[in-house]
Amino acid sequence: MTPLGLVQGDFQEYLLRGNTAIEGQVVGTARVPVATRLGIYGDAYRARLAEALQANFPALAKLLDTEDFGALAAHYVAAHDSSFFSIRYYGHELPQFLSTHPDYTDAPVLAELARWEWAMTGTFDAADASPLVHTDLSLLSPQEWAQLRFTWHPSMARLGLAWNVPQLWQALNEDAERPVASVNREPVQWLLWRQDLTTYFRSLPKAEARTLDAARDAWPFGELCDLLCDEVGEAQAPATAATLLRGWIDAGLIIGAA
Amino acid sequence: MLTRPSLGFGLGLRVDHYDAILADRPPVDWFEVLTENYLVPGGKPLDYLMRFRERYPLAMHGVSLSIGSTAPLDLDYLRQVKALAARVEPVWISDHLCWTGVAGRNAHDLLPLPYTEEALAHVVGRVRTVQDFLGRRILLENVSSYLAFRDSQLTEWDFLSEIAVRADCLILLDVNNIYVSAVNHEFKALEYLNAIPLGRVQQIHLAGHENRGDYLIDTHDHPVPDPVWELYAAAVRRFGAVSTMIERDDHIPPLAELCAELTHARALSARTLSEEAARRSARPQHAAVTGP
Repeated sequence: MTPLGLVQGDFQEYLLRGNTAIEGQVVGTARVPVATRLGIYGDAYRARLAEALQANFPALAKLLDTEDFGALAAHYVAAHDSSFFSIRYYGHELPQFLSTHPDYTDAPVLAELARWEWAMTGTFDAADASPLVHTDLSLLSPQEWAQLRFTWHPSMARLGLAWNVPQLWQALNEDAERPVASVNREPVQWLLWRQDLTTYFRSLPKAEARTLDAARDAWPFGELCDLLCDEVGEAQAPATAATLLRGWIDAGLIIGAA
Repeated sequence: MLTRPSLGFGLGLRVDHYDAILADRPPVDWFEVLTENYLVPGGKPLDYLMRFRERYPLAMHGVSLSIGSTAPLDLDYLRQVKALAARVEPVWISDHLCWTGVAGRNAHDLLPLPYTEEALAHVVGRVRTVQDFLGRRILLENVSSYLAFRDSQLTEWDFLSEIAVRADCLILLDVNNIYVSAVNHEFKALEYLNAIPLGRVQQIHLAGHENRGDYLIDTHDHPVPDPVWELYAAAVRRFGAVSTMIERDDHIPPLAELCAELTHARALSARTLSEEAARRSARPQHAAVTGP
């Protein structure tokens, strides 16, 4: 390795792991010794990544107090280097970290809140796309309908949550009175998406969640109708399919059909 | 002259001020945007950016180029910067004379380089590659630093100047960073300033810092302090009218407060330029042109 490469490797080892091999290559002064100078960089590194976590998970930071979030950030930063060019993407493994680290497994709502916040951010700055409008589908023949597959807005995210996380998030976000964290009888299915520049979310009835997931897996419309027959019965299926499709188009979820 | 005429006085574009800028159209000549904030697929950040682009000239200022790293250049990052530039048509693109990580890691900090011939040649080669890729000259900014390396053979000002000349790039001179580093490394700020080549400084940064007693930290969370204003006046005397902007990244005050600081920069620059012009015209006149 070149001398420059060695210096950079040692410096980075100090920042990431606290390895002090770099000390011999740094010049100090009587006023500011080497350890102090290196410490400025070491402290700044940890503080910057902790700030990034706070910026990327603001509701979680608010739910935990400063001290507890600081401890979480310190644990996470010690265990996760950044490999991203933008600090916007730092923290993607925080939900997994919270759901497996022994200090946090007793409070699974934290991992779910982190999942929620990460999904919200992804929706916020996902790619733009022009939604389909009703008239785009008005000229299709019944045969074409049966084989029709949809493409979806890139901002869409689906989460199944055991806890009342969206309600908790909303209260934290608006500085409103927080509901008590509670477990749902069974996981609630949520959809997040962006229409124009506004982020939306709503819970999905089971039949809609299953149909939407199948549709996003590129099932043709005919098979979605068969799925709905199983979900809501043959009599209700056509009307339900029409209602769902209209709702998805109104919400700007569908960007293509072919 | 490689540099373009001054755009006047600008500010760093910050989310806190988005709506105030769009509503009030403040007297700011141009804005500098943080490149990485807009390297996202879509949504509000890019929508806002294009709305500002319709109203003001924008410069793109990055933090992830890592021009001094021994890791390979991040081509995916560069492709994204180039694509954003094609959309924004910035007046220029800048980043820092530093490195941010090796071995696939990013420390998200502007880390100092040893000022060696090896590092100089390394950076020069990479600047040329980046400029070829982007199809334009870039500006490199001097960073604040808190340590120096035993291996350094050159001063920071010689290192920066040599890179600019050999790689044929431009300089974003951060006057606050010169001041911070001068205190931290006990050199004379004016010596630094006076060594920077004329005709390569395209932009000047002004900012505040934090005094920790034995050293200064470049926090960008305070107003520009007097010693940095004094150094700025010296820069105007040396480089003339250069596009100047104020950076504030933390404890961000209301827009009006930053505009008032910018008015001070404007007045100081105008006063300095006119004093300088008067001083020059008062000099004994020699034959200015010699001919056959």
